Amino acid sequence: MGLIGNIVAGVRALVRRARVEREMDEELRGFLDESAADKRRAGMTPEDAARAARVEMGSTNSVKHRIRSAGWETVAENFWQDVRHSARILSNSPAFTLVAVGSLALGIGANTAIFSLMNVVMLRTLPVKDPGQLVLFGNGRAAGSTGSLPNQSWQLFSYPFYRSFSQKSQVFSGVTAVDSIEFATHGALAGEGREMLHASLVSGTYFSVLGVNPWRGRLLTEADDKTPGSGAVAVASYSWWQRHGSDPAAVGKTIHIEGTDYTIAGVAPAGFFGVTVGELPDLWIPLSMEKEISPGWNGLGDKWFQSLHVVARLKPGVTLEQASANTNLVFQQLLHSEYLGPSPSQKDLADVAHALIELTPAARGLSRLRRQFTLPLEILITIACLVLLIACANLANLLLARGAARSREFAMRMAIGATRSRVVRQLLTESLVLALLGAALGVAASWQAGHLLLTMATSSAEVAGMNVNPDLRVLSFTLSLTISTALLFGVTPALRATRIDMTGALKQGRGIASPQSGISLARGLIVAQIALSLVLLAAASLFLRSLVNLTRVDTGFNRHNVLVFSLDEYAAGLPLDARLVNLQQQIEDRVQAVPGVDAASFSMFTFNQGMWSDDVTVLGVPRTPENSQDVLHNVVGKGFFSIMSLPILAGRGFNATDKIDSPKVAVINQTMAQRFFPGSSPVGHCFGFGDDPSHSGDIEIVGVVKNAKYVALQESPEAAAYFPYAQRVQYFGNFEVRSSSDAALMIPAVRRTIAEVNPNIPINSVSTLAEQVDESTANQRLIARLSAFFGLLAAFLVCIGIYGLLSYAVARRTSEIGVRMALGAQRSNVLWLVLREILVLAAIGIAIGVPVALAGNRLAGKLLFGLTPADPASLLAAIAMLAVIAVLAGYLPARKASLTEPTVALRCE
Amino acid sequence: MGQKSGDMVQGTLEMLILKTLALEPMHGYGVALRIEQVSQGVFRVNPGSLLPALARMERAGHVKSEWRSTENNRRAKYYLLTARGRKALKEETSAWDRQTAAISRILEA
Repeated sequence: MGLIGNIVAGVRALVRRARVEREMDEELRGFLDESAADKRRAGMTPEDAARAARVEMGSTNSVKHRIRSAGWETVAENFWQDVRHSARILSNSPAFTLVAVGSLALGIGANTAIFSLMNVVMLRTLPVKDPGQLVLFGNGRAAGSTGSLPNQSWQLFSYPFYRSFSQKSQVFSGVTAVDSIEFATHGALAGEGREMLHASLVSGTYFSVLGVNPWRGRLLTEADDKTPGSGAVAVASYSWWQRHGSDPAAVGKTIHIEGTDYTIAGVAPAGFFGVTVGELPDLWIPLSMEKEISPGWNGLGDKWFQSLHVVARLKPGVTLEQASANTNLVFQQLLHSEYLGPSPSQKDLADVAHALIELTPAARGLSRLRRQFTLPLEILITIACLVLLIACANLANLLLARGAARSREFAMRMAIGATRSRVVRQLLTESLVLALLGAALGVAASWQAGHLLLTMATSSAEVAGMNVNPDLRVLSFTLSLTISTALLFGVTPALRATRIDMTGALKQGRGIASPQSGISLARGLIVAQIALSLVLLAAASLFLRSLVNLTRVDTGFNRHNVLVFSLDEYAAGLPLDARLVNLQQQIEDRVQAVPGVDAASFSMFTFNQGMWSDDVTVLGVPRTPENSQDVLHNVVGKGFFSIMSLPILAGRGFNATDKIDSPKVAVINQTMAQRFFPGSSPVGHCFGFGDDPSHSGDIEIVGVVKNAKYVALQESPEAAAYFPYAQRVQYFGNFEVRSSSDAALMIPAVRRTIAEVNPNIPINSVSTLAEQVDESTANQRLIARLSAFFGLLAAFLVCIGIYGLLSYAVARRTSEIGVRMALGAQRSNVLWLVLREILVLAAIGIAIGVPVALAGNRLAGKLLFGLTPADPASLLAAIAMLAVIAVLAGYLPARKASLTEPTVALRCE
Repeated sequence: MGQKSGDMVQGTLEMLILKTLALEPMHGYGVALRIEQVSQGVFRVNPGSLLPALARMERAGHVKSEWRSTENNRRAKYYLLTARGRKALKEETSAWDRQTAAISRILEA
């Protein structure tokens, strides 16, 4: 019959069950008749013959059962039977089912949501051909540009380097480069309005190295990326194409971006987002157009303008080690031939000797999100797993109690012929049904929770394009989690419930055959729950206290009533000279004149927006290792210090006398002043960028300003210098406004005023300085909120567990309590009798939990601010909370026990 | 199973059924009777073993079944050897021969 025949026969047996059953009966009857007939022929009486034949066969039901067992369908059928039976049993106790399914749904749902985030951020491979062959040069952590010759692992590469390297290397089937920054710009498709566009600048080999096929039209080729300024074409992302009506005619249209017309050459396939997880460019544009997209980013011919990530595809059969050896060989040759002059200095030679390229497997792409979220996600999934464990322990306890209550039912079933394994299977099916119901609810809830988590943790614009819905990997994770959960909480109670002394169980119905064995296991489970909850509550209070510390940090600046406009000045179409500075001053002056506005200024950065850092040399101060550390720089307008409420402590701020042709000036902060001029005034001194003493007189210090936070609330005081934009012409993305009253009310007036001065400057978004400060701690807030939520959930589950255990114990001890009271025990004695038990359990649980919590909290050390992982206050808070919970949950059953009427209790037996 | 004449060597029941059915199609009782007769009463096959064995062999594709009428004009389920069953019989017989030969060599040594 073969496999297929077997399946067909099985299905037939399931579908036409009555007929199969009839045929089986007929065959058995025929057998019996023939056998009896033979025996009659041998001389037996008809009655004897029939009886002998039946004795030979044994129970027809058991024969039929064994015949049925020949097919796989019996297993399926039994399972289905068990499922239906379980559904009946569970619907008979809705309260139990609700608690069980609810706690499992929360536990499994939380794990699924967090795992689906981990999947997207940490696990999923790029949707390209053979992602395992892709390697990244460096670790992908740096972004931006650097002009120095690093004496360590190189992260960013110049366009000329990429060109020469790809010609010389022998281990890669292709090499491609992509700008480490995704450019936000503005453009308009022919016949449509202007829109904001995210453009990724890539080399012509980009799509062929990644092995991506076009969805429409064509992708970029090397011909597009031949000479600077040529190749005004763009490949659109699938989602951009969808936003434009999925119009097939979009291919071939032109899109006008900042003064240049680009032809849409094609559309990338759905789901393709490039090599950076968490970014979703609208357009891919050849690197040859770098200057047109961002004029400050003009490094095609400059080997010192290093701003690219390089990704390469290994030739088949080449290992990472071989590739690394060859790459560094070529790299050293290139460094000597192209980067070192004819007579290199000793320092340059030493630097080059230490320079190297680390190849990193890039199957999963690059990601800032991955670096930011790996630790938090690992902590969160640990927490979620602990919650699920607590839910399991809780359920196991409830099932133990139910098992004891149902011992009569099991004894009955085993008495009429069910094997123990059959009953165990039935009980496990019940657990599985519970777990699957919980999982179904949990997955349904986690469908959106994943996205919610991401948007809670980071600005929504960044992750809008990410697909965090559960995929096959997430669903199989959840399924295996569900099944192991069901086994974890189901096996012991099922084995325990079916280990019965049958006659005793049937006779008494209240199974007190072994009063201690079940309850000591249950006590153990409660202790485990208390210990695990302590770990969770301790972690939650640590994260909460850390967050409180963060929010109390003095930022130095005043975050209130400040609007931050994110805009695109480049779109105004002005060149980088005095005309741009005039426009900027005009905008500042006009906005400052708006009623209610106190100050208005452009700036390079506000807070938590990245940094420009460089070392400096001060005229007359010898360099030491301490004072050659980087100083943070910012370029600002005249009003910046009053917007941030940073008082000038010495000298002056910036004013109209700081012009493009006047001597270069800077204002430095207190930390920089102390670093270079301890005990004396820095005003009037000069410094320059880098370690070259001949530039140390470039910039004059005209003032000292109060310290502020720059990149993060956690940072220790940083040395910083501010420069007036009139002397460093550039396009700004930030425009800040301080108002005397509610800042939000000023938005329309400021927008209108900017549009009046220049209608071509688009404003992308408006936020407040306070929001920026909040956003910088989004990670910590996410963890604090979720760990608090999970901690409370765990505490709630422990409540249910304690309540259930004590109610059960009290019910079993009713008669004992009755006797005690009859002998003169007071209600308070009984109350104490029951409460004492739970206090002992809580004490044991806490004693076990404290060292575990202390060890576990060390994991979180990096994420804490202003306290140590062993923070005693957090631990004490958790212990106190658990003790209160234990007493509260134990009080109701204890009170019930104390209200026992001795006469009623004694009559029970 | 053999009730008074010793247990049947494990795994041989299916081989004996195959051999019996190789002669002609038979119903269940016929198979039992034939095995008992040929073995001169050494093996008595109990229906509680025979019928599940036949069901297993049918699922494995070694036999197939059809309803026919018996010599007594009753309807009975007849089992027929399939080509696959014939092949299985040949394999099991030669394996059996090898094993018994080996066992007797050991016993006689």
